[in-house]
Amino acid sequence: MHRVFNDLGLAVLVVVAMAVAPSIYSNQLLLFNFVMFLSLAQGLNVIYGFTGYLPFGYVGFFGAGAYGFALAVMHLGFGPPGAMAVGAAAAVVLALILTPLFRLSGAYFAIANLAAAQAVYEVVANPALEDVTKGPYGVSLSGVFAPNASYAAAVAILAFTLLLVVWLRNSQFGLSLRAIKEDPISAAMAGVSVVRGRTIAWLLSALIAGLVGGSFAWEVSVFYPETAFSPQFSIFAVVFALFGGTATLTGPLLGVFILYGVYNWIGISVPQYFQLIYGTLIVALVLFLPNGLVSLLTRRGIRVP
Amino acid sequence: MSPDAKLLHVEKLEKRFGGFRALDGVSFDLLPGEVLGLVGPNGSGKTTCINVISGLYGGDGGQVVFEGARIDGTAMHKLARLGINRTFQSPKPFLSLTVRENVEISARYGHAGGAAIDLDGLLASLELDAHAHRAAEDLNSAQQKTLDLARALATAPRLLLVDELAAGLNPAELDRMAIRLRTLADRGMAMLVVEHLMGFIDKVTDRVVVLNAGREIFGGTLAQATQDPDVIRVFLGGSHGG
Amino acid sequence: MLIGALLSGLVFGLYFTLVGLGLNLVFGVMRIVNLAHGDFLMLGAFAAYWMFALFGLHPLYAALAVLVVFVVLGLPIYYLIVPRLQMARDAEMLSIILFFGLSQMIEAVTSIAFGTTERSIPGRVLGTGPVTILGQRLPSAWVFGAAVSAIAVACVYLYLYRTRLGSLTRAVMVSRDEALATGIDVHRVSALAFGIGIALAGIAGVFAPFMLGSVTPALGPEINVAAFAVIVVGTLGNPLGTVLGGIIYGVGLMLMQTYFSSWANILPNLLLIAVLLFRPEGLLGRATRRA
Repeated sequence: MHRVFNDLGLAVLVVVAMAVAPSIYSNQLLLFNFVMFLSLAQGLNVIYGFTGYLPFGYVGFFGAGAYGFALAVMHLGFGPPGAMAVGAAAAVVLALILTPLFRLSGAYFAIANLAAAQAVYEVVANPALEDVTKGPYGVSLSGVFAPNASYAAAVAILAFTLLLVVWLRNSQFGLSLRAIKEDPISAAMAGVSVVRGRTIAWLLSALIAGLVGGSFAWEVSVFYPETAFSPQFSIFAVVFALFGGTATLTGPLLGVFILYGVYNWIGISVPQYFQLIYGTLIVALVLFLPNGLVSLLTRRGIRVP
Repeated sequence: MSPDAKLLHVEKLEKRFGGFRALDGVSFDLLPGEVLGLVGPNGSGKTTCINVISGLYGGDGGQVVFEGARIDGTAMHKLARLGINRTFQSPKPFLSLTVRENVEISARYGHAGGAAIDLDGLLASLELDAHAHRAAEDLNSAQQKTLDLARALATAPRLLLVDELAAGLNPAELDRMAIRLRTLADRGMAMLVVEHLMGFIDKVTDRVVVLNAGREIFGGTLAQATQDPDVIRVFLGGSHGG
Repeated sequence: MLIGALLSGLVFGLYFTLVGLGLNLVFGVMRIVNLAHGDFLMLGAFAAYWMFALFGLHPLYAALAVLVVFVVLGLPIYYLIVPRLQMARDAEMLSIILFFGLSQMIEAVTSIAFGTTERSIPGRVLGTGPVTILGQRLPSAWVFGAAVSAIAVACVYLYLYRTRLGSLTRAVMVSRDEALATGIDVHRVSALAFGIGIALAGIAGVFAPFMLGSVTPALGPEINVAAFAVIVVGTLGNPLGTVLGGIIYGVGLMLMQTYFSSWANILPNLLLIAVLLFRPEGLLGRATRRA
């Protein structure tokens, strides 16, 4: 049983640290970005780490969440909580529409997912839909701007996400997902419904990205389609999760704290240097450490939360 | 024999791959607790037959009836829960999971009803208990085959489809495996066994069906089969018109 | 208008064949996905730009230089990365991630070296005045780019079907394991195919400033989606199917730009998804037999 408590302990520690951080460090937007990427990297972990399907277009759900939030505020007059629910629903609906992509094997799934995210962006940013989405001209939600509240929402989403990953790591359902990842046919013969398991993981993963996207829209309140659908979100989530090690709780957290830390240190002024660093890291990781930093411990038989 | 007594009824089963008829109207029955061997030359449709019955492939014609209900077209995980399970020619256990977790999943998701399975007892009976907490990827290939069998047995199937379980086992392992299957059959588990090694078929099965080019050409005991002119012709060379 | 769209579609189709061909060759031979393909194309474009800007060299010379340099460059990249990658359990999936990393490295280094300004080469370099075909006037730079593409595709065909190394390459495409068993030096064949693959991207890149407009170091990813759409439509692992994929893609793109211009950008994405879902084996592929 103490495995669960180790996992829970780490989750609580991270959530509490991020919750009290604004009272110690004044750059709240930077802290928000950390919280956002912690959730996104773990959200990606839910689908990639536990089922092996790499959503290269993960930002599609994030953007759907951000625009779901914005449209609910602009057209329906919703307050932030309601708008957040609309954003989350938009991401989940998009995920449902994309479930046929699971018919594709790994590499094709990743590329088709990338294309799907790009297609959603092309629709949202299309000048022909200016009346609905404001097209390429971006949205302004200054009426709901409330950085303290949106930060709190982001921390709550992080808490939900980490609990979800703890559950996946310690439940029979999580075990069944890992079985599907290892071999779908053996898993089916073990009585696991492969379609159901994958779909649930997929929808949960999209739900997280949608919620994070909603909180992002609330936090920044003015944004453009190319911000909300920036491939950078998918790229960072993938890189952070891979760097630390997927299917663990620690790995993606470690990836965000280290790499996003480096990004904020050198990446913002000279993004190309950061791009070079993570590009090199990815190549090196795949060749020499495909299971991420935590595998330095796990391959020695040490259990990492 | 009343139709209700049959556990499995396969009728005119067909499976095509492009223009190739892998199964060309195969029919046979299986009684509860009976062990039926499927034998025949390479490409005669033995493994395809198991793959269609276990839901890995959809059939192109005919029907499969299990305990009185049609099951062709049913998803694999539902077949597992109905009481049909199988082993694989090249087993693919869940490599990063422990041996114990491998069978736990099966018992949790695929249990076909009846008394709960004693997983520790199951692992002990298959000599996997010493490795229960090791990752499946650390097992040798014979142990992985045994684990594949354990994964199937953990669902408490009433029909077990066994696909070339003996291949790659040494003679001592082979004998133990034959005894295990026989014990399971004596406790009432029906089996369909595909195997090239006739000694193994002889030890395990009650009856055989001989397949050739996707059709059954003989049904009876193995001893009778070896006397049958059609079977002899098929096994000793298709060039004589077979 | 329709004939104009079809004709320019054909011209662009030949060009997009060249864009996709190298990616398909690499996939066909190595079963890996070179997600840095678009970045090699971008490098070709920058090579052409600088050779023109500094020495006034005609893009044809740039194309020849790119061909030689990229084939040579491909060999060490291949040996450093691919054999090790192919030992992994899920090489195809890992290749996507690894080459994505390489793509980011190339984009970063190019940005650091040359900045992120848009670069272009004037179209008159490839001939002045429009060319008239079937009563339709096409910019001569387009026709030039299409002609070079057609020649490059023909050369690949001759290589694959008329040379010894080419037939060995096709043997590896059919079955890597059997090729190994028959004593073919699979690594040598693959390394050369990798070099040729990125060289084809580079040559496509040389004409990118004329066919696609100005270029930046960030050109890679959008090229990847287009190249993927082309080779998936034309059947993965079948280099000649790429011609069909390229032409369908080019004509589709031009029809969209003529009749639904604001939605044209969505085409490669939807085409890619649709073909993957409804005809994953491509238009020329046959359903694979599972036995």
